Amino acid sequence: MALLEIKNLHVSVGDREILKGINLSLNGGEVHAVMGPNGTGKSTLSNVIAGRAGYDVTQGEVLLDGKDVFAMAADERARAGIFLAFQYPVEIPGVSTSSFLKTAINAKRRAAGQKEIDAMEFLKLVKAKTKALGMADDMIKRPLNVGFSGGEKKRAEVLQMTLLEPRVAILDETDSGLDIDALKVVSDGVNALRREDRAFLVITHYQRLLDYIVPDHVHVLVNGRIAASGGKELALELEAEGYAKYQGAAA
Amino acid sequence: MKRAPGLMDHPFGADYAQRTLAPADKHLAGFREQARAVFEPHGLPGPKNESWRFTPLRSLAKVPFIPADAADDVDVSAVPPGVVSLPGSARIVLVNGVYRRDLSDAIEGVEIFGLQGADRNLLGHLATAASAPLAALNASFMTGALALRVNGAVPATLHLISIAAAGNQPVAFHPRLLISLAPGASLTLVETHCGLPGQATFANPVTEITLGEDAHLRRYVQVAEQDDSFHLATTAVALAANSRMEGFHLGLGGALVRQEVNVVMRGTAAALELHGAYALGGHDHHDFTTSVNHHVPGCTSSQVFKGVVDGESHGVYQGRIHVARDAQKTDARQQHKALFLGRGPQIDCKPELEIYADDVQCAHGAATGEIDADHMFFLAARGIDPATARMLLVEAFLADAVERISDETVRAAFGRDIQGWLSRRNLKAAA
Ligand SMILES: Nc1ncnc2c1ncn2[C@@H]1O[C@H](COP(=O)(O)OP(=O)(O)OP(=O)(O)O)[C@@H](O)[C@H]1O
Ligand SMILES: [Mg+2]
Repeated sequence: MALLEIKNLHVSVGDREILKGINLSLNGGEVHAVMGPNGTGKSTLSNVIAGRAGYDVTQGEVLLDGKDVFAMAADERARAGIFLAFQYPVEIPGVSTSSFLKTAINAKRRAAGQKEIDAMEFLKLVKAKTKALGMADDMIKRPLNVGFSGGEKKRAEVLQMTLLEPRVAILDETDSGLDIDALKVVSDGVNALRREDRAFLVITHYQRLLDYIVPDHVHVLVNGRIAASGGKELALELEAEGYAKYQGAAA
Repeated sequence: MKRAPGLMDHPFGADYAQRTLAPADKHLAGFREQARAVFEPHGLPGPKNESWRFTPLRSLAKVPFIPADAADDVDVSAVPPGVVSLPGSARIVLVNGVYRRDLSDAIEGVEIFGLQGADRNLLGHLATAASAPLAALNASFMTGALALRVNGAVPATLHLISIAAAGNQPVAFHPRLLISLAPGASLTLVETHCGLPGQATFANPVTEITLGEDAHLRRYVQVAEQDDSFHLATTAVALAANSRMEGFHLGLGGALVRQEVNVVMRGTAAALELHGAYALGGHDHHDFTTSVNHHVPGCTSSQVFKGVVDGESHGVYQGRIHVARDAQKTDARQQHKALFLGRGPQIDCKPELEIYADDVQCAHGAATGEIDADHMFFLAARGIDPATARMLLVEAFLADAVERISDETVRAAFGRDIQGWLSRRNLKAAA
């Protein structure tokens, strides 16, 4: 059984259909890349899987370990192991990054019947992970994402992923806004998490990311449909030729 | 004494006066008589009184209060366990407004007087009967006063705990607190106003605060009355040159609570910080009314009030800033923001700026909103359940005000009180 199974997924906003029958199957250990022009539904797909309100699922299903994801609230999905690294992480004034991280870690622990993380253990853990991601020590004292630069926000997303150890991680353009060095650091962070029982869905516009996080499969999402799938060489082809041929086919 | 027609009936008439303890001395007797002559014809302020438009007193007026001294079945032998404990602080405990030496600590650097010893000139010099109807009510029935005179720097935080307790009948009390800081003196004062379960209580305190030149007062007031109890407090403050006052007022419930603070700048370069936070649910009503009067040049005042409202509660903020013609180089700011946790609550906000000087910086802002759905989704996407997420966001909203408390211990203690309020209230219900 696939870890995450997306079957014939149709999603509308208002009376406009945005996803028009998506099929994707992610097995443990795999990295799938999704590429596609602006506005074709990549973030919609990630939001719907993570449980954001405002989308109508008109057909299809998403299964995590065979279980119906749409039957779960967003917070339950996260605790079950779905993680979305946001394309645009929100700023939350007044909530310190560290108390947010601790709350999130404890939510997961409680759901798993474990005891809460103790203060020392938490500090040690966070310190090690922030260091690995090249983040400043005092970052976690600041309000969540407030005043973080674009790259800092993306690193913070990866930090959260690292701490929450998801089963399925969806990275929505985590590479955009990162400088060349940061791209490497963040990719190393992701690669370190690759495991037999974990899968990644990596949304990106740039082939460069896929030099670092080497995908097993690449999918082209155009106009709400998967127009093509292939190996990592498909990304190189897209980089060279653009989406014209798929857009033509879809029109 | 004659009553104006159309006056709201209320329990503070002749019977009440008769049952009130006789004045301790002639000075007080005269003071009370004068105040009653002001109170009696007007009674409690009604909806036509502009300052009381949003805070109707009908529910208060209906309760058959007796003076607390007349209730012989009140027995309080300890501070209630829920009262915040502030490490290193010295306690002054009042029960129904009466100083309880047996429950209080001795305090270094502070002289505590009854009215006898107090500087008589301080009584009623700032909170006059004519200036506010609730100050008139207080002056009409006060049985004594507590005066704190501070001459130097007081090392310990003073924690004044005022406990309201009724016997078989609802009780009212009218305490008067006189605080004076000599030039250069400093004090940190925390006030906890709470009540015991039982019959309704009505606390009607008046506090008069005088700061000498270069004096520094930090006053942190928390009001957490019982659900059926009343608390209408008036504070009047006079600031001398270069003095600094930091006030923070926390409102965590009560049937009807008003914290009114009137400040007058009397010397140049005085600085006022006056902030507050409230969290209301059920049928709580809480009113912050402030009046900051810049009479002299070069003073600053800053106010940040934030509130969350749930259930059918009602929050009020009225902020008046008056800058006199001569008060050039004034910097006066005020802000009120409220967060709705449901559709039932009500907020009334009335900023009032009267500026007669031209070279000044004044700003005011007011906003209301709801919890941001994007914030909720972000937290949910990290596995945080809606009730916990809401708690985090509400705390964060109030933090903007609470973080202005410069005393770390008090800031943490008030933060914990807010957390306690949030976890008691089942915020899940609002989901
Ligand atoms: N809540 C919404 N209301 C209205 N339209 C929406 C909403 N969410 C998405 N859309 C529309 O759906 C389409 C797909 O948006 P989506 O954000 O999924 O694109 P994307 O593939 O992630 O694009 P990009 O590469 O620019 O991030 C867009 O035309 C967008 O305007
Ligand atoms: Mg997108």
